[in-house]
Amino acid sequence: MTAPRPTVLERWNPTVKLATVLLVSTAALLVTDPVTPATGWLLTVAALLALGRVPVRTLALAHVPFVVFATSLLVVNVVTRPGGDPVTLGPLTVGADGLAIGAALALRTLFVGSLSLVLVLTTDPVRLMTSLHQHARLPATWTFAVLAAHRLLVELPDAWHTIRCAQAVRDPRRRRGRLPRSPRSLGAAAFALLVGAVRRSERLTVALESRGLGSGPRTTSRPVPLGVPDVVAAGAVLALAGALVAVGMVAGWVTGIGALTA
Amino acid sequence: MTEPRTTSPRPHDTHAQPPDLAPDRSGPASPPRPSLRRGLTLHETVLVAVLGVVFGFVYWAFVQLWAPLQLAMGPLADLAANVLAGAWIIVGPLATYIVRKPGVGVLAETLAALVEVVFLASPAGPLLLVVGLVQGVGAELPFALTRYRRFGWWAFVASGVSAALVTFAFNAVRFGWLGQDYALLRLGIQVVSCVVLCGLAARLLGDALARTGALDAFAIGAARRG
Repeated sequence: MTAPRPTVLERWNPTVKLATVLLVSTAALLVTDPVTPATGWLLTVAALLALGRVPVRTLALAHVPFVVFATSLLVVNVVTRPGGDPVTLGPLTVGADGLAIGAALALRTLFVGSLSLVLVLTTDPVRLMTSLHQHARLPATWTFAVLAAHRLLVELPDAWHTIRCAQAVRDPRRRRGRLPRSPRSLGAAAFALLVGAVRRSERLTVALESRGLGSGPRTTSRPVPLGVPDVVAAGAVLALAGALVAVGMVAGWVTGIGALTA
Repeated sequence: MTEPRTTSPRPHDTHAQPPDLAPDRSGPASPPRPSLRRGLTLHETVLVAVLGVVFGFVYWAFVQLWAPLQLAMGPLADLAANVLAGAWIIVGPLATYIVRKPGVGVLAETLAALVEVVFLASPAGPLLLVVGLVQGVGAELPFALTRYRRFGWWAFVASGVSAALVTFAFNAVRFGWLGQDYALLRLGIQVVSCVVLCGLAARLLGDALARTGALDAFAIGAARRG
């Protein structure tokens, strides 16, 4: 690849990385206090910057959708969840319960979002699929079907543009340099894109079959290594998460799902 | 057309009734489907992969469009999440409708989630994989109960209701809907949304796709030829 030298997070086996990230973000669901996800988020961001060498700018931009989502969660919980002591926020007075749970859910969104950035920013899709085939026993047919479909995904924007231009050419009321913008034409273009994709899947099948897919065991051209360090890293992350919750339990700030209805 | 047919085409016999109107029931006329027991053919695998990837992209694009809207609507935005809840599940019933084999809907929905998370970075994070699994299972359950034989309108309504209930239970924990003032209103909106946007829309889309002839090699095409 073009990267000068893969970072620690990039070298981490993708299957192990996916499993760890999935486990931690599922476990995060069970915690409803603000402190635990906040700490987790800070640790993940630190790991991305230090171990993944992700530029700060990229990281900040990638956080925009999470912040939007988190704000929405915070606002809705503050508005719809009365109870607790009144808290004065400038001109507004809100319930403490809504504020605490809203903040917890918002911080959880940031935490889980940053975990997904670990996957997206430091994993090569082809490497992930190869590793899933090697280490998670994903059948070869599925591996190659998804990889082929991924190729199709890359070409989807071009196909979309071609369809839109074809629509514009056939539109009697077109103006130069403008694509038709009615919802009807957008829907028609989306449907054409879908039909085209289905038809391409038939050609992909022929291509895969002609390469002997499904006729026996296969070898892998660029195997992804899986070693002791990969597993140790996963263990370390899980131990850290466990320690975080344990400390919170001893200190008394960790709350479970029961807090939602209490 | 040089594409090989993986399911044997049946001869056109009668065009007695337009298949769009009559709910197709596998009456005594249709021969038993021999492929139900076996796994997916390569042809079907690739189709499910492509459907998953394309819809993963569509969902992701919708999420991007929706985010600014969500911020603009403020507190109502979270209710809007319930209005659109069904839209994120459409590929499950669609894939089941086309291929008519166990597990296809779950696979397609999970794959769409995988594409969103790993290839496109969704704000919902890796958890979306679990969400996709839950949505797929919810939507496929009614079809599994009919042993993948009934694909009339009611089957799709049942699929929508089931998807709504299952995803609501999951999201009640995930987003803290439990204990909010509108929890029941949310449930109602979500059921309607899932029936319309997931169940009925999947059937309409499947019929429209089948009408183009692109699906002739799959179970849905065979059923249409009857």
